[in-house]
Amino acid sequence: MSESGGSATDGEPAERGGAAEGGGAAEGAEAAATERSVRREVETGRWDGVRGAALALVGVGVVARRPGLVLLGAVGVGYALYAGVGEAPAAALDVTRTVSDATPEPGDEVTVAVRARNVGDASLADLRLVDGVPPGLEVVDGPARVATALRPGAAVAFEYAVRASRGEHEWESVTAITRNPSGSRERTTAIEPADPARVVCTPELAAGGDLPLRGLTTRSHGRMPTDVGGAGVEFHATREYRRGDPLKRVDWNRRARTGELATVELREERAATVVLLVDARDTAYAAAEPAAETGVEASVGAAGQAFRALLDGGDRVGIAALGPVDCWLAPGAGTAHAARGRETLATDPALAPTPSGDRFYRSLWLRRFRRRLPADAQVLFFTPLVDDAAASLARRIDAHGHLVTVLSPDVTASGTAGERLVGFERRERLRELRSAGIRAVEWGGESFPVAVARATNRWSP
Amino acid sequence: MSAGVAPDDGDDANVPTDPRPERDPRPPTLAVVVSLAAAAVASLAALIAAPTGGALLAAATVGLLAGALRRSHRVLSWAAGIGVVGLAVAGYQGGGVEALLVGGVALAVAWDAADHGLSVGAQVGREARTGRNVAVHAGTTLLAGALSVGVVYGVYLAAAGSQPVAALALLLFGAVALASALR
Repeated sequence: MSESGGSATDGEPAERGGAAEGGGAAEGAEAAATERSVRREVETGRWDGVRGAALALVGVGVVARRPGLVLLGAVGVGYALYAGVGEAPAAALDVTRTVSDATPEPGDEVTVAVRARNVGDASLADLRLVDGVPPGLEVVDGPARVATALRPGAAVAFEYAVRASRGEHEWESVTAITRNPSGSRERTTAIEPADPARVVCTPELAAGGDLPLRGLTTRSHGRMPTDVGGAGVEFHATREYRRGDPLKRVDWNRRARTGELATVELREERAATVVLLVDARDTAYAAAEPAAETGVEASVGAAGQAFRALLDGGDRVGIAALGPVDCWLAPGAGTAHAARGRETLATDPALAPTPSGDRFYRSLWLRRFRRRLPADAQVLFFTPLVDDAAASLARRIDAHGHLVTVLSPDVTASGTAGERLVGFERRERLRELRSAGIRAVEWGGESFPVAVARATNRWSP
Repeated sequence: MSAGVAPDDGDDANVPTDPRPERDPRPPTLAVVVSLAAAAVASLAALIAAPTGGALLAAATVGLLAGALRRSHRVLSWAAGIGVVGLAVAGYQGGGVEALLVGGVALAVAWDAADHGLSVGAQVGREARTGRNVAVHAGTTLLAGALSVGVVYGVYLAAAGSQPVAALALLLFGAVALASALR
């Protein structure tokens, strides 16, 4: 009684046909919409040995001349027959799934109701259903599973609640596991409901304080004080009067003192172009503990605050992701751009709450990123800095003339020696970045704006 | 009632593995209760048949409970094996036929409910709704046992005294051959 792969492949097409037939007879349209595919069929082998035990009992009974033992062995043979009878039935189920709120706010509880009806001709003596909850959502109330028995035409319904988190989440297929009455054979079926549920959760972007930028600006006016003299607010220098200078910028005090005409120059304030680069490689999905916020989640939250603050300040802001999935929102301004940015940060697959699992090619990514990056753009790089690649990338982008500010959420823990080592390595990377002239802000328990405000006091303008 | 091998220790692999602590993987309470009740019946029946057998079946009951608590198919199989040995000892010491048959079916139901509970716990969890599933499964196993006992005991009564034990065994051998052909 081994797990026979042969019988599984032989049985599959016929049974699949049977399932479709049964469904068609009962309810044509609905059954056609629900897709079912048999994943695997196995012998569980749970009754293995019952025949051996039965024969041993009979043997002892014959030798010892005890009819009771022979009869007991005969009952054992009966159980062996019971184990051999029946295939695992096809899970001819119609599954519908409804979510209470398709566009929840982050942190809301969304109730999911699943209903499965047996549309086949056979009764399912042993049916276990496992709903395909999206990997980025956490089930907070009740397991998304049920075990029951269904007669033909009977239905089972169950409910559970998930906590909504940022992103676009689509449910996967329902897994149905059926067994024959004795449980000796098992069949796993994936059932795709006609309408796979989906929730889209787009957080509002809150402006997070003032974000100091570095001195790389565009020619447009903005709020960044520069070292260029011209019109502005803050005093910059005085120079000799040239014909055509505006009268209100003439230094009349000096004229009164010395009789010479001189012009006051003020610091020009210009706008910057900023690209928010979010580290979304597999390693950036690190978290201090399993239930805690991942590095990507913290980075995206902070990037949202920075996006809003910079856009309100008149700068041009773009978004890019450092990861296997491509994501690029060219720098721009205006309300339409703000909406696009919010959408990108919330639902772009590159910034999904769980890693994509694809391979990441760093040099290819860097080449593409540099081609897209405007020449006067500076980069705010959000990364948990848990590996050397992120730090070296920050230095390389900075070396290409795009001033980099590293903003690093602290996702390290301090429980074991290994965790402390990772935390130490991360602090070393921050130190090296700072000594290479790259600004770095890190934040852990405190909020992102507080950390920025604290770090800004240390920086020279 | 496997005596040696515990082939479905890998039962957990049947579920799509889920790293989140969404569910409690212990077997459903009903399954454990049914298993222990059936095991108690088996122990009582074996005790009536022969005291040594009763002691061994009490050990099997403890084994079933331990297997359910430790979530181990292997421990359950060993407990069932001890139970079979206990019934064999009771029968060898000349226990009554009726008590032996009741003990055998009760032991089968006890092991089956515990083992089924383990797989339900692993795939669905304790907190989910599982009552109907467990009850239907235990009921089917009990029914299968009752049918076997009915047939076997009926044949025994009909042929009581006139047939030697060897003839009964030969009859049974024919039944086993038939069972193997059906597979």
